Amino acid sequence: MALPLSYNWRNLFVRKLSTSLTFSVVSIIVAVLSILLSFAAGINDSLRSTGNPANIIVLRTGATAESTSLIKPDEANRVLQAPGIAQDDKGRTLASQELCAQTTLPRKDGRGIANVCVRGVDEIAFTIHKEVRLIEGRLFNVGQMEVIVGKAAQERYKHLALGEIVPMGRSGDRAYKVVGVFEADGSAVESEIWGPRTSIMDSFRRTFLSSVIVQVKDAGLAREAIDYLQGPAVRLKAKSETEYYEDLTSKTREIVVLTSVLITLMGIGAVFAVANTMYAAVDSRRREIAMLRTIGFVRRSIITAFVLESLLICMSACVCGLIIAALVSSMISKQDFLSDTTWTVLAYDLKMTPWTIGTALALAAAVGVIGGLAPAVRASRTKVIEALRKA
Amino acid sequence: MSSADIEIKKLKKVYYKDKMEIPVLAGLDLSISAGEFVALMGPSGSGKSTLLHLIGGLDTATAGSVRVGESLLETMSEAQLTSWRSRHVGFIFQMYHLVPVLTAAQNVELPLLLFKMKSSERKERVKTALTIVGLGDRMDHRPNQLSGGQEQRVAIARAIVTDPDVILADEPTGDLDAKTSEEILNLLNLLNEEFGKTILMVTHDPKAAAHAKKTVHLEKGQLEREEFSNRQPMAAAR
Repeated sequence: MALPLSYNWRNLFVRKLSTSLTFSVVSIIVAVLSILLSFAAGINDSLRSTGNPANIIVLRTGATAESTSLIKPDEANRVLQAPGIAQDDKGRTLASQELCAQTTLPRKDGRGIANVCVRGVDEIAFTIHKEVRLIEGRLFNVGQMEVIVGKAAQERYKHLALGEIVPMGRSGDRAYKVVGVFEADGSAVESEIWGPRTSIMDSFRRTFLSSVIVQVKDAGLAREAIDYLQGPAVRLKAKSETEYYEDLTSKTREIVVLTSVLITLMGIGAVFAVANTMYAAVDSRRREIAMLRTIGFVRRSIITAFVLESLLICMSACVCGLIIAALVSSMISKQDFLSDTTWTVLAYDLKMTPWTIGTALALAAAVGVIGGLAPAVRASRTKVIEALRKA
Repeated sequence: MSSADIEIKKLKKVYYKDKMEIPVLAGLDLSISAGEFVALMGPSGSGKSTLLHLIGGLDTATAGSVRVGESLLETMSEAQLTSWRSRHVGFIFQMYHLVPVLTAAQNVELPLLLFKMKSSERKERVKTALTIVGLGDRMDHRPNQLSGGQEQRVAIARAIVTDPDVILADEPTGDLDAKTSEEILNLLNLLNEEFGKTILMVTHDPKAAAHAKKTVHLEKGQLEREEFSNRQPMAAAR
C-alpha cells in the first residue's frame, strides 16, 4: 500500500526554496506553452478552413497573395471560359471578380492605425462565399458609396458603426456609408470591409482585379479547371479554396513547431530542475526512507511516493501556469495578425482550447515523472543499514 | 498478543571492504525464549547491531541460521523478508526516526498502511498504541512539538501497533537523559511483562541492561557470557 498523500504534500513544504523554484520553472513553462498554443489556436480559428473544395481562387502567376496579384479584366474574362464552372438558378456564372484594396483606420483602443482590407465584390460573391451573412442593416447597393463591414472589424476600428461615414479611396476622400454588418463563421473575412466592386475600383483608381473565385459544378471537376487556368489559355495561378486556406494555416503550424521546439528545450531544463529538487529531497530523507523500508514498505512504495511528490509539484505548477495563461489570454482580448495574403490586419482571440490544457497537463506530468523517476529509484535503493547507522 | 522465540545457530556474518574480509559474527549460537527481554551488550564492533539486523531480516547471514518463531529467515527473499518484518517485528531506533511532517498518530499509523484494514480500525489501534505509551493526548502533535522522550514513546507506539512477535530496540535510550531513559525502559518492561512481547535490546548502558531478564555479552562476534537478572517484575515491584 502507498504512503498517504499528506506525507508527499507536506514534504513539499519542508524544502520551500527548492520546491518553489522548481514550481516557478514549471509554471512559467506551462504558461508560455499555453499562451503560444492559445495564440496558434486563435489564428487557426480565424483562418480556419471555410473553404469549399469546389471553389477555385485565381491569382496572378507568381503571386503568393491577393496583395501582389494583378488580374486584368481581359484575363478575368478568360477565367470564365474554364471547364465545369457552375451556374446559379438564375443562369449566372458562379465567378466572383474581386479587388482587395487597403485603407487605414484608427483603432478603437487608441493603439494607432491599422491597414484594413476593403474588398470590392459583385452580388454573385455572396452566392460563392456562403459563410458571409448579414447580421445587421442591409446589403450595399451596386453603384452606391456604401459598404458592409465585418463584425471583427467593427469591434476594433473607428468609423464602422452602422450609419457612420468611413473615408476611403486612394486619397481617402471618398465617403462611404456603413449600411450593414456581416459575420463569416469567425473567419478572416470578418476583419474586412466589403463594398460594390465598381465603386471600390473607381475610388482606389484601380483598373485591375486582385482575384477571381470560380465555383465548379462538382469538386471532382476542380482539378481539370485548375489545369486549364494554369495552362496556356489563361496562364494564371489557381488553387482550390481548401488548398488556399491550408496554405494560410501553415503559418500556425510553424508557430506550433517553433513552440514544440522551444517547449521541448524548456521541458528538458525543467526535468533537470525537478530531478535536482527530488535528489535533494531523497538525500535529506535517507534515514526516513530506511525507516520506511525497515517497517515493511517495499521498494515500489518508495518509488511511487517520490514520483508522486514530483508529480504534485509539477501538476500544481501546471494549474498555476494555466491560470497565468488564462489571465494573460483574457487581458489580451483581440489581437492583430498581419496577414501576408492581404497585407491587412486580421483580428483573433487567444483561444485556450481543451487541447492546449491537455498538452499542458501532459507536459507537466511528463516533466514530473521523468524528473522524479531517477531520484525515486535512488531512494528505493537506499542501503537501509548504512542509512540507519548514519543517524 | 503474539510472541515468538528466537533460535540462532552457527551464525556468521562477514563484511567485505576493499576485498578484505571483516568477520563480524563468528559462528554465534543463541536461544531466546518467547516473552523474554534480552539485553545485548558488548564493545563496539562486537556484532550487537549486526545480530539485531540479522534477526530483524534487514541483512542476510553469510552462514548459519536465524529462526524467529516459525520463520527461517535465510530461506526468504528480500521481498519476503520485507513483508515478514511488517508482520512480525517492531523496530525501535536510537534516533526515533519519526517522519517530521506527520503527526504522532500518522507516524504510528504508517506500519498499519501495509495491511488491509478499515480506516476506523486503524485509528482505533493507533489510539490504543499511543495510550499504552502514555501519549493519548498528543496524537495530533508533530515530532518537533514533542520532547525526546515523547518522540521515543511515539516510536515505541509505532513498533507495537501491528502487535509484532518481537521488538528489536537499538540503543533506545542512547539519546535520552537518565530520567527519560528510565521511563522508556519501564515502558519496555511493561510491554514485556504485561503484553508478553519478546524484546531484544542493544545497549551500552549497564543500567539499561539491568531492566532486561537476561543480558547477553558479545565479544568479537561470539557469545562471551549470559547473565540473568534478579530484577523484580514491575507488578511485583508495585
